[in-house]
Amino acid sequence: MRIENLTSRVYSDMDPALLSFVKKYVTSFIKWDLLHFFHRNPHTIDTVENISRYTGRAPETVQRELVELAQSGLLEETHMGKMTIYALASSPKIQAQLAQFVTASLDKQFRIRATYHVIRDMRES
Amino acid sequence: MLPTTQDNTAPLAQRLSTGIPGLDEMLHGGFLTQTANLIEGAPGCGKTTLGMQFIRQGALHGEPGIILTFEQFPEQYYRDAASFGWDFRTLEEQGLLQVIMSSPEVSKADLERFNGRIEGLIARIGAKRILIDSLTHFERMSQDPAELRSLVYSFLNALKREGLTAVLTRESSILLGDGIDQGSDADFSFLADSYIMLRYVEIESAIHRAIIALKMRGSAHDTHIRQFEINSEGLYVRGPFVGREGIMSGTPQQMARSFIKAFIKH
Repeated sequence: MRIENLTSRVYSDMDPALLSFVKKYVTSFIKWDLLHFFHRNPHTIDTVENISRYTGRAPETVQRELVELAQSGLLEETHMGKMTIYALASSPKIQAQLAQFVTASLDKQFRIRATYHVIRDMRES
Repeated sequence: MLPTTQDNTAPLAQRLSTGIPGLDEMLHGGFLTQTANLIEGAPGCGKTTLGMQFIRQGALHGEPGIILTFEQFPEQYYRDAASFGWDFRTLEEQGLLQVIMSSPEVSKADLERFNGRIEGLIARIGAKRILIDSLTHFERMSQDPAELRSLVYSFLNALKREGLTAVLTRESSILLGDGIDQGSDADFSFLADSYIMLRYVEIESAIHRAIIALKMRGSAHDTHIRQFEINSEGLYVRGPFVGREGIMSGTPQQMARSFIKAFIKH
């Protein structure tokens, strides 16, 4: 009961569009990092191995997250011979939503709320 | 005095100004369009700055450009450019510049396929210029020099097919002098249409920078070894080293007095 109250309070304080974005795309902290990376480097076109190198994480950790972000439509996945390439979706709408999320992340209160959501989502999955 | 362009070089309309004072004169007006131009030099000697200046010059004169980076993050270019007072972020927002981060294998594969992402970005901004930073990273694609040359040859042709005039940087492991580059067996200089070398030179216990155009296919060019400097506005090329010989050795000697008397003073 208390947890549900906290959840509704945390969510009710969030902008509905941002809440929807967080629920759909930011389901782990690795994804959080990857979203920031693609926002800062919107014209990155590369493999799991190279993106993991750029973000300073292990390829096996990054791979699952990239696949899920592609499945959710935030990234585009392309196959070139033996290579699988990831790039930010070219949709201006998605890019604008991502920019809104990154801007909101500068705010501590937003980060606390979004972090709560990510932890909750990770526990459930 | 710099040579004039009274020769069989291409008309100026077919050249792209580098925006670097003194370099256009060395190249008789700039790089020829749709060519691959290799800039080789030691770390920190100004290769990327030269390339960024080339891209900026185009962006300011209706020739949008792309920076294809294989190592540095776009943020680094924005920061480096800002230190010269160049606002690359705004140029990107205006659709005059695009900084793409990728790897040699992906870029090559992407350019080779129909309707690739890079081709799409080139078309979207109408890019005419590209900076490849750096070609050195291709060297990890193959240990076989012949295969590597073939890979790079194909990549350069793809850039030309897209109508781009390219500046490609390549790192030399030689800090000073004309020793043999031990870093790699790869020699891309003959694949490039022009080959410009940047060198550090020690003169009287101070480090100076030298630039020479060793090759320019389809055009005459200045063959003097010139000094260049990087100031708050970017790179600029000065006059030739006077009274020195062995510049490319990195430690030039003063020319014999009699030689100066015979060839310089008269």
